Amino acid sequence: MSSRLTSWYVFGFINIAILSLVACSGEKRPNADASAFRVALLTPGPISDQAWNATAYQGLERMRDSLGASISHIQTKTPAEFEENFRQYGAKGFDLVIGHGFEFQDAARRVGPQFPQTLFATTGGEGAGPNVVALSFAFDEPSYLAGMAAAAMTRTGVIGVIGGTELPPVKLGFEAFLAGARLVRPDIRLLTAYIGNWDDASAGKEQTLAQLSQKADVIYQNADAAGLGVFQAVRQAKGAWVIGSNADQNGLAPEVTLGSVLVDVPHAFLLLARQRQANTVQGPTLRFATASEVVRWVPNPTAPPLPEQVRAKMDSVRAEFAAGARPVLTPR
Amino acid sequence: MDALLIPFLDATIRTATPLAYAALGEVVTERSGVINIGLEGIIIAGCLGGLIAAGAGGPTVGFLGGALAGLLMAALFALFVLRLKADAIITGTALTLLGLGLTGTVYRGVFGLEGAALGTPSIAPIALPGLSSLPLVGPVFFTQTVMTYLLYLLVPLLAWWLARTHTGLALRAIGESRTAAHAAGIAVDRIRWGAILFGGVMGGLCGATLVLGQVGTFTEGMSAGRGFIAIAIVVLGRWRVVGTALAALLFGGAFALQYLLQAVGWALPYQLFLALPYLLTLVMLAALRGRAEAPAELASHEG
Repeated sequence: MSSRLTSWYVFGFINIAILSLVACSGEKRPNADASAFRVALLTPGPISDQAWNATAYQGLERMRDSLGASISHIQTKTPAEFEENFRQYGAKGFDLVIGHGFEFQDAARRVGPQFPQTLFATTGGEGAGPNVVALSFAFDEPSYLAGMAAAAMTRTGVIGVIGGTELPPVKLGFEAFLAGARLVRPDIRLLTAYIGNWDDASAGKEQTLAQLSQKADVIYQNADAAGLGVFQAVRQAKGAWVIGSNADQNGLAPEVTLGSVLVDVPHAFLLLARQRQANTVQGPTLRFATASEVVRWVPNPTAPPLPEQVRAKMDSVRAEFAAGARPVLTPR
Repeated sequence: MDALLIPFLDATIRTATPLAYAALGEVVTERSGVINIGLEGIIIAGCLGGLIAAGAGGPTVGFLGGALAGLLMAALFALFVLRLKADAIITGTALTLLGLGLTGTVYRGVFGLEGAALGTPSIAPIALPGLSSLPLVGPVFFTQTVMTYLLYLLVPLLAWWLARTHTGLALRAIGESRTAAHAAGIAVDRIRWGAILFGGVMGGLCGATLVLGQVGTFTEGMSAGRGFIAIAIVVLGRWRVVGTALAALLFGGAFALQYLLQAVGWALPYQLFLALPYLLTLVMLAALRGRAEAPAELASHEG
C-alpha cells in the first residue's frame, strides 16, 4: 500500500474516532419518542468553563429535568460550523435549537427560514422573524452595579476589565462597569484588555498580572475558561479583588471575589422552552432585565461589606433599573 | 521605569519557558528530518497529564505525568510515521485534533462539569539565594520556577550534545540525508524514534509547565496555538539549539509586551497588540532570510 493511501486511512480513522468521542456529547435520548420535545444547544466553547458555556449546559439539563425534553449538545467554533449544525438540527426536526451567543445570530437568520417548524434562538443579539428569536440580557445593568462596588473597594483608584474578545455584549458590560464606577468615584481609571480568545487561561493570568503591576486592584473578567487564569492571578496576588461574570463565580476563589454579574441562563431557557411548547413565543426578541431577576448582581457573601452609603446607592439604582426608570448609559 | 521594565521582563521569561521546552524538543525532532506538526496535541496532552498526575501525587509527579502524556502522543506519531510510513504532515494534523478532542473528553470524564479547582498543586517561583538580589537581572532571571532554571542547564547541554556527540552527529546526518546515513551504518529509524519521543517529552513538559507552573488549573484548548508557535520558533531559531532558545525568548517578549501595552491603556485597537508577536515573526523571518538551513530531509516528508 502506498504511503499516501495509508495516511488517508490513518487520518480518516482518527477523525472518525474523534468525532464519535468528542466535540459533541451527542443526543442523550436519541429518538426515544418521536413526539418528545427536542432541544439542541450549540455552545461556542467547552461546557467545563464554569462560566458562560457551563450555565447554558445547566439550562439544557434543566429543560430535560423539568420538561422531559430530549436534549442534544454540540460545541462549535467557526461560523461555518454554526450554520451547518443549525441546519442538521433543523433537518432532524428539533423543536428548539439554541445558539449560545451573540455570534450565532447571522447563522440563525440564514438557516431559520429553511426550517419553519424549528424555533432558532440565540442568546444575545436581536431576533429576526417568527422562528428566529433572541434572548437579550440587560447585562449592562448588573455590570453597572458591579462598577459601583468596584469603585467602593479600590484603594488605588485603578480598576481593570479583561474580556475574551470584543463582542458587543462584552464591550457593553465593560462600558456600564466604568459608568457605575464613575458614579461612586468620578476620578476612577479603567484599564481594558482582551485576551483574543476564550480558552487561554495562561494568557488570562498574564494579562491580569500586567494590570496588577499597573496598580489595578479590582478586576472584572468576562473571558469564560480563560477567565480562570484571572481568578488564579488575583488569588495569588495580595490585596486585589476579582468580579466574576455570567455564572455565579463567587465560589471559585471566595477569598478574593467581590461578587458576580449573573445571567440566569437556565431560568431564561426554561421560560423560552415553555413558551415554545405552548406556541406563545413572545418574539422576536425576549428581553430580560433587572425586573425579571434573570440578570442580577450577586455579591459574594464572604467578602467584606461595602460602605453603607454605597450599598444604599446601589439599592436605589437597582430599584430604578427594575422600574425601567434609568438608562444605564446615556444614549450617544 | 522599573514599574514597567521588571513586570515586562519577568513576564517574558515566564511566557518563554513553556515555549522553549516545546521548541527545543521540536528542534531535535526536526534535525532528524521529521517535522511533527502534532506538537499542539502533545502540549495539551501534557497539560491534562500534568493536572491529573499532580492531583494524585503532587507537582513532581505532575511533571512526570505531563512528560509521559507527551511521550505517549509522540509514540503514536512515531508509530504511524516511522512504522506504517504514513505522511508526517497528515499524521501531525490528526495528532493535534486527537489531542484537543481527547483531552476535553477525558477532562470532563475525570472532573465532571465542575472542572478542576483552582487549587491544583503547583510550583511557586524560587528566588535563588544571592543571584536574585542582583539589580534587574535578579528579579527577572533568578526569581522563576525550577522549570526555568532547568532550561538554563538544558540549553547548553543540548547544544553540546547535538554538536559534539556521536549520537548528535548521527541525528544531524539523518536529517541531511537518511540514505547516506543508512549507508554509513547509522540506525536511522531507531534514532528517529528517539528524536520524536524526546520531542514528545519536551512538549509534554511544556504543557505541564503551563498547568503546574503558571495557571494552576486546566481549561480545554488551553494550549491555544503554542504548538504552532513553537514550530515557528524553530524556524526562526534556524534549527539550532541556542538560536531556538533565543527565538523563544523573543516570542515571550512579544507576548509580554502585548500584555503590558494593553495594561498601560494605549488607545489603540487591541487586535494590533494581539497581532504583535506574529508581525514580529514575519519581520524576523524576512530579516534573517539567507541560506537555507533547514535539514534537507524535511523537504521530503515521506518519513
